Amino acid sequence: MTSNTSTDLRQAAEGHRPSAASRGVYEYVVLSAAGLFAIISLYFVGSIVWQALPAIRHQGLYLLTGTSWVSGGATPALSKFGGLSMITGTIETSLIAIVIAVVVGTGTSLAINLLLPSWMRTIAATTVELLAAIPSVVYGVWGMLVLAPLVISTVGPFLNSLPGGNAVFGTVVAGQSLLLAGFVLAIMVLPTYVAISREVIGAVPHELIEASLSLGATRWQTIWKTILPTGRVGLLGAGALALGRALGETVAVVLVIGQVNQLNFRPLQPGVTLASWIASQWGEAIGSDQMNALFALGALLMAASLGVSFISTRLVSRQRSLVNR
Amino acid sequence: MTSVSGITDPQFEDPRLLPAAMSLRDVSVAFHGRVAVRDVTFDVPANRVTALIGPSGSGKTTLLRSLNRLHDLTKGASVSGTILLGDTDIYQGGIPTTVLRSRIGMVFQRPNPFPTMTIYENAVAGLRFNGVKKKSVLDAAAESALTSADLWDSVKQRLNAHAATLSGGEQQRLCIARALAVEPEVLLMDEPTSALDPISTKRIEELMVELKKRVTIVIVTHNMQQAARVSDLTAFLLMGEDRAGEQIEVSPTLKLFSAPEDQRTLDYIQGRFG
Ligand SMILES: Nc1ncnc2c1ncn2[C@@H]1O[C@H](COP(=O)(O)OP(=O)(O)O)[C@@H](O)[C@H]1O
Ligand SMILES: [Mg+2]
Repeated sequence: MTSNTSTDLRQAAEGHRPSAASRGVYEYVVLSAAGLFAIISLYFVGSIVWQALPAIRHQGLYLLTGTSWVSGGATPALSKFGGLSMITGTIETSLIAIVIAVVVGTGTSLAINLLLPSWMRTIAATTVELLAAIPSVVYGVWGMLVLAPLVISTVGPFLNSLPGGNAVFGTVVAGQSLLLAGFVLAIMVLPTYVAISREVIGAVPHELIEASLSLGATRWQTIWKTILPTGRVGLLGAGALALGRALGETVAVVLVIGQVNQLNFRPLQPGVTLASWIASQWGEAIGSDQMNALFALGALLMAASLGVSFISTRLVSRQRSLVNR
Repeated sequence: MTSVSGITDPQFEDPRLLPAAMSLRDVSVAFHGRVAVRDVTFDVPANRVTALIGPSGSGKTTLLRSLNRLHDLTKGASVSGTILLGDTDIYQGGIPTTVLRSRIGMVFQRPNPFPTMTIYENAVAGLRFNGVKKKSVLDAAAESALTSADLWDSVKQRLNAHAATLSGGEQQRLCIARALAVEPEVLLMDEPTSALDPISTKRIEELMVELKKRVTIVIVTHNMQQAARVSDLTAFLLMGEDRAGEQIEVSPTLKLFSAPEDQRTLDYIQGRFG
């Protein structure tokens, strides 16, 4: 192989390479790049798992079920690293985000594809796409400075004034909360959801829409009974893709969630997510056993993201094959 | 009955003398100002099959879709002239399109059952759109519509199977059942057999002849034998100078295929163009 390559190079230098040999070089370069990429990916995953192993060995199931996070310092045997609050916080914020994004995003996609006059379609579509271009720290700062006061002054008191509001939503203390994090995440994943759901809705065969209308269905019935059911698998896929993004979002969440390691289930209470905890603890953890525990949380987050993204790809391609019969 | 030149059959009845289910007066359809069909005028006889024939692009589909206002969805489409359903002007008469479309059903070129619905749900979809909720009513309607569409016997054991499990011909008959369940007065069919094999085609042709006892049928076909086999009245459309479809001749089918009035009709049915 080496000698072949050097021959090729010599011929290249002489300016008359045969095309078969040049293709050989080209393939070699492409294959090496692909191989390198595969090695880097494996190394990436492998080193995270490797770093997580000591924590898994020492903490065991406590990593998933424990709620204290204390470092034993010089005596690692005293360390307790429980990730339950981060896990529940991640699930709660992501669920809030996905529910909001799916409801608002599906409506937006229907409006852009079917309901708005054409000059407004472009404006609406561009606006949503531009949301994706805003750096996440901007969302975080905006959430912290603009929305958090609003949660204290308006949203929180309103939710608390509902019957049973305190029990369900918790009492508003600071604006930073699971709810605010979920809301900011919803806006951040909206462009992703809308991009896929627009494609899904746009791919619902026109002949089905016509079939529906020709039976006397109204426009709303056509949307509810024909378009959304036909696209439901793809819309689930879009939701899963958005969920994958919400799970891993870090910077914005750190700024709006309150960052307290507490097992909270009420949306107006503060909390923490896997990603935000890893980012905020990193500085003090380097070189200690706490670092291994953070790697374990990272591995969990990675597995969840990969799983969700795999599911989303499967759903979206199942939708494609459904409508392209 | 009346004497029509070129017809000697004593059983012959001129469908043009029957009561009209729909009437078209100077109907034109344009897309973005470009005329696709121009000045079509004829009556659709009640409880008969009317065929629209003509070469590809002569505006058959376009004309058919003006009859249930399906062009309302198409940007840039405009329909002019007058179309009556009975005495009601379907564009100017104030009849809601949802009501209109439950009185004028449609079957499309490619079978298009709702893929996420079962056979049963497809059959009753139109009734549900129209607000029928009672299970006994829906059940009875499903059986009756599927029976009318010659499908009941083969699906009664698997009403909860998905529509996609049916063959192409069965799917098309399900679409016919779906349209019939709403009990429309008129059934529009746009080349309903063009995607089907000969046996399925024959079944649907026989079905049309049976169905006309209760519903008026307008069928688009580019298959002249089909028009000759199933229809009572035939309208022949042809593109004019500016490529807009024009009505060349509307005659009783028997006459149109044996002694057409227009030379261009003769040329077409003898396969000289199209
Ligand atoms: N939605 C549409 N937009 C623009 N032009 C159309 C549309 N539908 C049909 N046409 C035009 O109208 C003419 C007649 O088409 P069509 O009614 O489909 O013919 P046929 O069914 O007889 O083959 C064609 O020139 C076609 O391009
Ligand atoms: Mg056509």
